[in-house]
Amino acid sequence: MSIAHHPSAPMVAAYAAGRLDFGQHVAVATHLFSCQHCRNQVRAAEQTGGDLLSALPPAPLANDALTRIEARLAEPDKPPPPNPVATSDIPGLPSFLRSYRFDAWRPVAPSLEARAIRLPHPTPTRVFVLKARPGSRLLLHTHKGFELTCVLAGGFSHEGGHFGPGDFDIGDSAVSHEPSIDAGEDCISLVAMQGSLKLRGLLGLLVQPFVRL
Amino acid sequence: MGSIRDAGRQDWAAHLAAVAMHADRAAFASLFAFFAPRIKAFMRRTGESDAQAEELAQEAMLTVWRKAALFDPATTGAAAWIFTIARNLRIDAQRRARRDGAGATPAATEEFEIDDAPLPDIQLAAAQSSAQVRSALAQLSPEQIRVVEMSFFEEKPHTEIAEALSIPIGTVKSRLRLAMKRLRSLLGEET
Repeated sequence: MSIAHHPSAPMVAAYAAGRLDFGQHVAVATHLFSCQHCRNQVRAAEQTGGDLLSALPPAPLANDALTRIEARLAEPDKPPPPNPVATSDIPGLPSFLRSYRFDAWRPVAPSLEARAIRLPHPTPTRVFVLKARPGSRLLLHTHKGFELTCVLAGGFSHEGGHFGPGDFDIGDSAVSHEPSIDAGEDCISLVAMQGSLKLRGLLGLLVQPFVRL
Repeated sequence: MGSIRDAGRQDWAAHLAAVAMHADRAAFASLFAFFAPRIKAFMRRTGESDAQAEELAQEAMLTVWRKAALFDPATTGAAAWIFTIARNLRIDAQRRARRDGAGATPAATEEFEIDDAPLPDIQLAAAQSSAQVRSALAQLSPEQIRVVEMSFFEEKPHTEIAEALSIPIGTVKSRLRLAMKRLRSLLGEET
């Protein structure tokens, strides 16, 4: 298996429990699209959910609850919603995500472009696709809040290792990194971010006003 | 709590198959008797009002009736499948509440569908894993089960779990880590 970097076990469990904020959900789902290992973890966590559900002390329903539902069993089911139409040609995205609206590419910083994804549910997390030119180097930065990155194409390296397609990177205020982009092809990633990034160093101070993320 | 050791003894998968194949109302009534009050309890724990929890439990069981044919015992356990139905309905309900019920939004169900990716070896040994997970959970102490439950169901941050149980936050984290590690090793995953 070529995927080396995964979301943390608690993050995968929170995904399966339905407790992730939607922006984070999108980032983890994108990783799952390529990662059988983590899909298995999700299944395992769902088994746990089923077992925990079975073990809950029951909360009794109204006496006529079963009668009332039996009266509805013959009702026709609502027609399923139409299949969403995939509009994005970006590789590596799960199908529900491909049907969302993508803003146009816009420059963010030298060698760096982004296009925002319009999510259908309100979330404090911004989700966008980031494209960095081959061989470029991003500035040393830290995060207020967090940044989840799932590589879709190409790759990058920082002191945490090398990240290729499917790999999942977690940045937060405890991490300070300076990714360098692989030579040869654009590095395209899906990023879910809360808060903002802070560039470090003198150069960072100088360019911070021009970097729009 | 600790009743988790006895949970899931029934062959709920066979009940689901009877519903799917013969629209078996007696099998459905058994599923309802066991799961509806537990789904209601799950909804209560995740912050729904009593009336809303009751409504969602009904809706979940109606979904179980309608979608029983989609249940695949080769890939998942019956209780896990019903859990995912309840989970998705809860997410939908919370979104409706935030939007004051206005407007349709995509259902959570499709946001958990990622299995259309062309991956080799898609088959997971989950049917096997249900029994394994249960036996793994049975090895946990009641205190550990409580931590896992609070983290899984009740949206409580680790700090609040620590307060509620009067244990240090490090203990909360280590109990969760231990539980996940045990699950992983039982599923044959390397960590």
